[in-house]
Amino acid sequence: MITALAFKNLTLGYDRQAAILDLKTEIAEGSLTAIIGPNGAGKSTLLKGVVGAIAPIKGQILLGALSRENVAYLPQQSEIDRAFPLTVTDLVAMGLWHEIGPFGRIRRDHRARIDTAISAVGLTGLERRLIGTLSGGQVQRALFARLLLQDARLVLLDEPFNSIDARTMADLLNVIQRWHGEGRTILTVLHDTETVRAHFPHTLMLARQLVAHGPTAQVLTAENQFRARQMCEACEGPPHRCGRSVA
Amino acid sequence: MIWDALLQPFADYGFMRRALLGSFAISIGATPVGVFLMLRRMSLTGDAMAHAILPGAAIGYLIAGLSLGAMTIGGLIAGMAVALLSGLVSRVTALREDASLAAFYLISLALGVLIVSTRGSNVDLMHLLFGTVLALDDAALILLCSITSLSVLILAALFRILVLECADPQFLRSVSGLSALTHFIFLMLVVLNLVGGFHALGTLMAVGIMILPAAAARFWATSVGSLVLVAVAVAMFSSLIGLLLSFHYSLPSGPAIILVAGVAYGISLLFGPSGGLIAQAMPRRHSEV
Amino acid sequence: MLLKSAAVILVLTVAGPAAAQANKPIPIVATFSILGDMVERIGGEHVAVATLVGPDGDAHVYRPTPADARAVNKAKVLVVNGLEFEGWLDRLIDASDFNGIRVKATDGIEPIAFEEGDGHAKHDDDEKHKDHGKQDEQAKDDHHSAFDPHAWQSLSNAVVYVDNITATLSKADPSNAATYYMNRAAYVAEIQALDAEIRAIVAKLPANRRTVVTSHDAFQYFGRDYGLTFLAPHGLSTESAVSAKDIGHLIEQIREQKIPAVFVENISDPRLLKQIANETRAAIGGTLYPGALSAPNGPAHTYLRMMRHNAMALAQALGS
Repeated sequence: MITALAFKNLTLGYDRQAAILDLKTEIAEGSLTAIIGPNGAGKSTLLKGVVGAIAPIKGQILLGALSRENVAYLPQQSEIDRAFPLTVTDLVAMGLWHEIGPFGRIRRDHRARIDTAISAVGLTGLERRLIGTLSGGQVQRALFARLLLQDARLVLLDEPFNSIDARTMADLLNVIQRWHGEGRTILTVLHDTETVRAHFPHTLMLARQLVAHGPTAQVLTAENQFRARQMCEACEGPPHRCGRSVA
Repeated sequence: MIWDALLQPFADYGFMRRALLGSFAISIGATPVGVFLMLRRMSLTGDAMAHAILPGAAIGYLIAGLSLGAMTIGGLIAGMAVALLSGLVSRVTALREDASLAAFYLISLALGVLIVSTRGSNVDLMHLLFGTVLALDDAALILLCSITSLSVLILAALFRILVLECADPQFLRSVSGLSALTHFIFLMLVVLNLVGGFHALGTLMAVGIMILPAAAARFWATSVGSLVLVAVAVAMFSSLIGLLLSFHYSLPSGPAIILVAGVAYGISLLFGPSGGLIAQAMPRRHSEV
Repeated sequence: MLLKSAAVILVLTVAGPAAAQANKPIPIVATFSILGDMVERIGGEHVAVATLVGPDGDAHVYRPTPADARAVNKAKVLVVNGLEFEGWLDRLIDASDFNGIRVKATDGIEPIAFEEGDGHAKHDDDEKHKDHGKQDEQAKDDHHSAFDPHAWQSLSNAVVYVDNITATLSKADPSNAATYYMNRAAYVAEIQALDAEIRAIVAKLPANRRTVVTSHDAFQYFGRDYGLTFLAPHGLSTESAVSAKDIGHLIEQIREQKIPAVFVENISDPRLLKQIANETRAAIGGTLYPGALSAPNGPAHTYLRMMRHNAMALAQALGS
């Protein structure tokens, strides 16, 4: 197994409050992994650490051979300004940044790829619509199209299916499957265990510390879930109480 | 006859030609910057900046007396400092840009008033610092045109990254390290256009030309590029009509220009096809997927 | 013996402070530098004058400070110009709880009413007041006075100013009244001498070269006294905004009447006037002092020097 991403004794958090304690595990290249855990388990924080938005308090996050250009990130709450006069095409075209940078021209082959990405997410016909006129699901599709164009080896998705309709979710899951088929490494934070069981071969269960990591069937057990909840509840108090394993 | 009314004043008087040239210069230089300010929800920056430059002007006055050049340069430095500090604070803390700018311009203004009053001088600095479009001498015109050229070049070069920085700063940060640099260069452009505008044209005109045409253009254009073009057109048109009104009806020039821009805004608000009030009220055929 | 010494001590204790009081200078506040200079000439060492709007200051747009309020509070006499020159004064007096004597220097002069005319900018709340020779009354509403406040620009008015100030000083400090009147006499002699001098100089100017352009409308009294005409883009106050029509008009006038000179002022932005000068063949004649003295090392640091400087500058520009 080639390691795409390694966490070495990672303690990560804000303002010196650890959201993740002493995480030690590795993500295989080409794997499709779901990250689950109770609320406050540190899942979003982990992704932010991978993308470089927060620096580790202790330990390391190793990205193997990947550089910033090879990582694509979809945050839980996109900060995109919906009132900005941007069309769907403009938004999706942002994904070409790693190729054309701030000054490059968008050539015909770029346009073709933009159109392909737009149709891959089911937004054909809406190319010239302003993003302010789109529904939540449509914006999410457009953001996925942008991710498609980014063509990254490592894709990080933070709760990509929050508040969107089932049809959109199904379509986007297809895109994820496609990426998986292309050999990309995908990490997705989710809270719906049914979706995880159905579509994600690997799971990493977090409760501020590592609960379990491996094939989904082995990780997603009632026992593990109970343990995870207990670990998180124990950590609701002062930090030094965390880390005591609950039998 | 109409020809006479429209063109004669400019043909006859040098000061009218210069006023028009100066107004056009600032329309081309400052208005596009104003479009971006509006898109970033920073439209009140202009007013804040007018106050923020006071300590710089005061120090310029302390050093060189009533030299407009020294006071303007001092004002420029103070404005840059305020813009940079507030930009920095908004990037590394939770405080948003508008709050950090408000904090710094207030501190700056208070400092300025303090400096002026301890010197015991009665000279009304602000009064002297701001020019009028009817009094543009060669130096002021050169200043305006240089700022405009610089502004246009930088904006053209930074266009895409600026759009990204306004629309989805999170995404830009994740794919490029240029985000902070762009932010600061943009703030520099704002300060440059404003201080140059204050020196040559006064606060009302400088800030007004930056913001009002941009606000009006919002109701007509649906892409950033066309926003800029429409805003510049509105600004130039307002300058022309405003100057003519000032000439034919004895109205003060700066306010006249800004009021014409204001009327343009009002008309756009009502009749503009993109979000104008009347357009919103009319039933539209949906071509939804 | 004891009784005598006690009596001497008693007299000294009472008379001492009184005598000392007679020697301590009276605190006086003058609203601007010209008045301050006059009070100093008349009062001499018996007065301690604080001036609110100092040299090169613009009293039209002045904003008083807490230090000013303190000075006014301590003052026994407050010397103001009147004719609504000091728009900020009433509030300052309220704030400072002043209970001394207030003297309006312009009491008794014949004020010029502000007419709309050529070369004047339309003043904000302009009303057409047609009464001349009417004593200025403090209007209770908030609009600007209809009278030109720059009365000190006439030397004959200056004598009235000096008389009013002398009378008030004598009332506030009777023990030195004799000195005040003596100083007044000397000062008035100087004023009248200067007046004669200026008349002589102006008389030599050709009849068709008696019009100049200044920044704001501050020299009507000077013009009335000596037969000169002053035009200005700004109206009575440096605060009023200028329109393109006014400037165009002024330029036309300069061209038609072949006005030879344009004068900038020590208290306003010279750029507008330079613009006007550029478009005509008028030269910039120099700097005039409409309503404030210069700094101590400048050419107009006393009232008389100021008036002489203005007259000389005008004569030179018009005579050449």
